[in-house]
Amino acid sequence: MSATDDQADVERVLAGDIPAFEGIVHRWQGPLINLAYRFCRDRGRAEEMAQEAFLRAYRGLSQWRRDAVFSTWLFALATNLYRSELRRIPARTVSLDDIAEPADARASDGGFEDRDRDLVVRRAVGALPAKYREALILFYFHDMDVTTAARSLGLPEGTVKARLFRGREILRAKLTPRVAAPRLKEAL
Amino acid sequence: MRRLIEDDENQINRILSREDEILPSSGFAVSVMDAVRREAAAPPPIPFPWKRAVPGLVVAGLAAVLALVAGVVAIGQLGRTSTSAQFPSFLSLPLSLPSLMPINFHGGMESAASWTVLALLVTFVSVKLSMRLASGRV
Repeated sequence: MSATDDQADVERVLAGDIPAFEGIVHRWQGPLINLAYRFCRDRGRAEEMAQEAFLRAYRGLSQWRRDAVFSTWLFALATNLYRSELRRIPARTVSLDDIAEPADARASDGGFEDRDRDLVVRRAVGALPAKYREALILFYFHDMDVTTAARSLGLPEGTVKARLFRGREILRAKLTPRVAAPRLKEAL
Repeated sequence: MRRLIEDDENQINRILSREDEILPSSGFAVSVMDAVRREAAAPPPIPFPWKRAVPGLVVAGLAAVLALVAGVVAIGQLGRTSTSAQFPSFLSLPLSLPSLMPINFHGGMESAASWTVLALLVTFVSVKLSMRLASGRV
């Protein structure tokens, strides 16, 4: 994904060549849908939200200032949209206290199966308060890059770091008895 | 204990980093481009007709100012009348209220009818004018 390709396509679209927008859609459809999916955990809704994000990007192309990379602007726009969509119609989540232990809690190795454990952790992230959940989603989506996550969220890095710290703390408090129990047993 | 916390954090990092990627459905890009073309083909939003609206806004502003001034004057008169009345009693207050009313409330039926006709006329003119403005015949 080249920034110059994005810039060239944007210039063409702004000059009236509407089909040039397809290049932008092809390059960014995967990331935008995946980001939306991490917010809502619903494939159909993720595509709807991503489509709306592309439409808004099309409408606001002239507002992209060239001092930032196009992808930074696009992710910030999409993140903003996804956050407000999720505020309007929240994703189906379970409360942190209601996250059930997997049926297979006593697996042969004394712990959870990997898949069950992953599911519990993801559900726990989904049940976090919005500000911590959003920081965690963006942080892991951007390969654990705080700077990029902060830009997408439109927040100072320090705020994002604080939210990540607090979010992880809540997760650890809720998950340690479930996820780390086997290791704790081993340590003892 | 500290190592345990670090291990947990690493484990959470590992789990949340290896999220499965979902692929866009085959018609996604086509559907986005259709929406974009529809958007591009749609006529641009009609700008607010400031030129036509300004006279109406000015008249409305003047009317509001006049109403305010009339209100202030009426309140002033009310205050003067009530201070000039010596030792007003609560019993005499309801009886003296009509005399405190603005002059146009004294005319009885004739005055009320003329005010009503004027109000209806103003309403009729404003409705007609706004309809003509909306249909672009001005």
